Amino acid sequence: MKKKMSFQSFIIAGIRNKPGRNLATAFCFAFIAANIFSGQYLIAGAVGSVNQGVSRMGADFIVAPIEYTVLLRGSGPENTFAIVKTLPTVWRMNNNRMDTIGNVQGVIGISPQLYVATINASELSSLPVDIFGFDPETDFTIQPWLRQPLKNPLSQGEVIVGHQITGDILSKVQVSNRSYTIAGRLDPTQSAADTTIFMGLDDAYSLAQTEGVVPLSAPRISRGDINAVLVRIQPGEDPDPIGARIRRSFPPSQVTVIGRHFTLDPISQDIQGLPGLLKIISLVIVVATFPLIALIAAMVTHERQREIGLIRSMGAKRNVIFSLVIVESLFLAAIGGIAGVAASLIAFLLLNTTGILNSALQVSFRQPAVADTGYMAGIALFVVIAIGGIASLVPAYTSSRMNPYDAIRGEDR
Amino acid sequence: MINVDGLTKTFRMDNYEISAVDDVQLNVQPGEFILIFGRSGCGKSTLLGMLAGLIRPTKGVVRVHGVDIAHLSDDDVSGLRAKEIGFVFQFSGLLSTLTVLENVLLPTLFCTYSPSSGLRALELLEKVGVLDRADAYPHTLSSGEMKRVAIARALINGPALLIADEPTGDLDVDTEFEIMELFRQLNHEGTTIVMVTHNPDLIPYGTQSYSMERGKIVGKPKTSSCENLDLKSVSHLTTRDLT
Repeated sequence: MKKKMSFQSFIIAGIRNKPGRNLATAFCFAFIAANIFSGQYLIAGAVGSVNQGVSRMGADFIVAPIEYTVLLRGSGPENTFAIVKTLPTVWRMNNNRMDTIGNVQGVIGISPQLYVATINASELSSLPVDIFGFDPETDFTIQPWLRQPLKNPLSQGEVIVGHQITGDILSKVQVSNRSYTIAGRLDPTQSAADTTIFMGLDDAYSLAQTEGVVPLSAPRISRGDINAVLVRIQPGEDPDPIGARIRRSFPPSQVTVIGRHFTLDPISQDIQGLPGLLKIISLVIVVATFPLIALIAAMVTHERQREIGLIRSMGAKRNVIFSLVIVESLFLAAIGGIAGVAASLIAFLLLNTTGILNSALQVSFRQPAVADTGYMAGIALFVVIAIGGIASLVPAYTSSRMNPYDAIRGEDR
Repeated sequence: MINVDGLTKTFRMDNYEISAVDDVQLNVQPGEFILIFGRSGCGKSTLLGMLAGLIRPTKGVVRVHGVDIAHLSDDDVSGLRAKEIGFVFQFSGLLSTLTVLENVLLPTLFCTYSPSSGLRALELLEKVGVLDRADAYPHTLSSGEMKRVAIARALINGPALLIADEPTGDLDVDTEFEIMELFRQLNHEGTTIVMVTHNPDLIPYGTQSYSMERGKIVGKPKTSSCENLDLKSVSHLTTRDLT
């Protein structure tokens, strides 16, 4: 038997008093929360998909020794799609050229790549496997293709493998009697990257020193050698003048600068404008539902005026009545808000799992990260709780100012 | 304990004023059971409302323990009400989603918390004869049981004065008799009671009975001795016996 009365139990009792009405109120809050959360979630997912697509387009330019052009003429149009990695060549340059490229106006990212060797290892792939060195810290072309983000930055002895390389994450792969741990796996790229093993440059230089890895016919790989520098330019900038500036930074016939033949920037920029549109839509819904919530709050307090008069006759002060009305509204808003967010989240997970979302949006929906989802849920909850609080301000004030005697006898008149 | 002097309340309706209570004088001493009789609309409830500080008088004073409550702030009057005054209305006013015990404990929310409130609530429920219904919800109670719970609730903070506004107005004769017996018992145990009623049969229960007409106390107070009173035996009494 409970021998103590608390404000919490009194508030809960008040809410239980009219379950149908309170359910309807909570539903209104749930609707607002679901609308705000869903909008954010949908746009964040779509923006994430496009951003991922853009980032997976790799480099805007590849800067390689001049001989590289010869290889391109013979090997076909790989550079017309995403520039994820350089081609396997033995033409190398020193990495001291990177500073020159990095200083060119409009260049915002550079990352070196080194082709080590191509090996035949049936335990890894039925196709020949390329071994590449890259700089994980500056890389912006390989890691965007990771199926799952790396738990930690790639360290020595760890590799990222292409989609078609055999082996689970954290399992070992053997390359010329050296053992490496698979730290990450790429999504299918439909390119030679699918049968490539990517390792840090230090590991690549060490491996290159191992006898039999680099064919005797090829020049030896020294520390500081790289095959190419992948370049990213400022979004929205015209790539042609930047490419020309890179070319002009080197003596003639020393490097070749090859650009991607298309850009996704306009699409990316278009979709960045969607959150603003969403905010306007959400605001319209909030403005439209606010009077409804305020009306419900006013009706509730009117309906409960005898109860309010009664507790005033028991000695409840005005601020207690004011707080009770506000807290009850906040409670309903919180319950409704949580329900709305939870229902939206479950719906999104189901739609995403079944693929309905992707086909409806006609883009690959990228589920926002947990932290981002929490942030969006927090915003939705904050908005509904704020609406609940603001909408009940006037009824709370009116109730607290109500003459208790009139309130008690109101229903008799 | 309560001293009322020249108490007046007028309500303005359109272009004219109505005096609900007109120049009432009243003294309530500790241990008294004041019964105010009058027809509906004569101003009884308005008078009670002013005694409890629920209604601000237009004129006159209400002194509770020497303090004029008409000049206290709303919060101070609420505080005084929480500690000093218990209210019983014609309707039970029990909250349907709270148990009987929780309903009785409700006024403790507005008073200084006492760890003994729970025990006191149980004692009061025992005193009013509904201890076995402590965990029940109001809709399972009879009208008489509801009224008993309302009385226990009014007494939970140990008020100096119990105000009852037509507490038996909605009860059948037998239940009315039980409730009045309970009031009498509480009065004998020292609770000061001011009750208004339109039922003349209840007049003998008051240690002092007043008649009210058109907002005024009329005639002289009648002093009763209601030992061994049988409600059915006094049913022939009328207003005339008081005036």
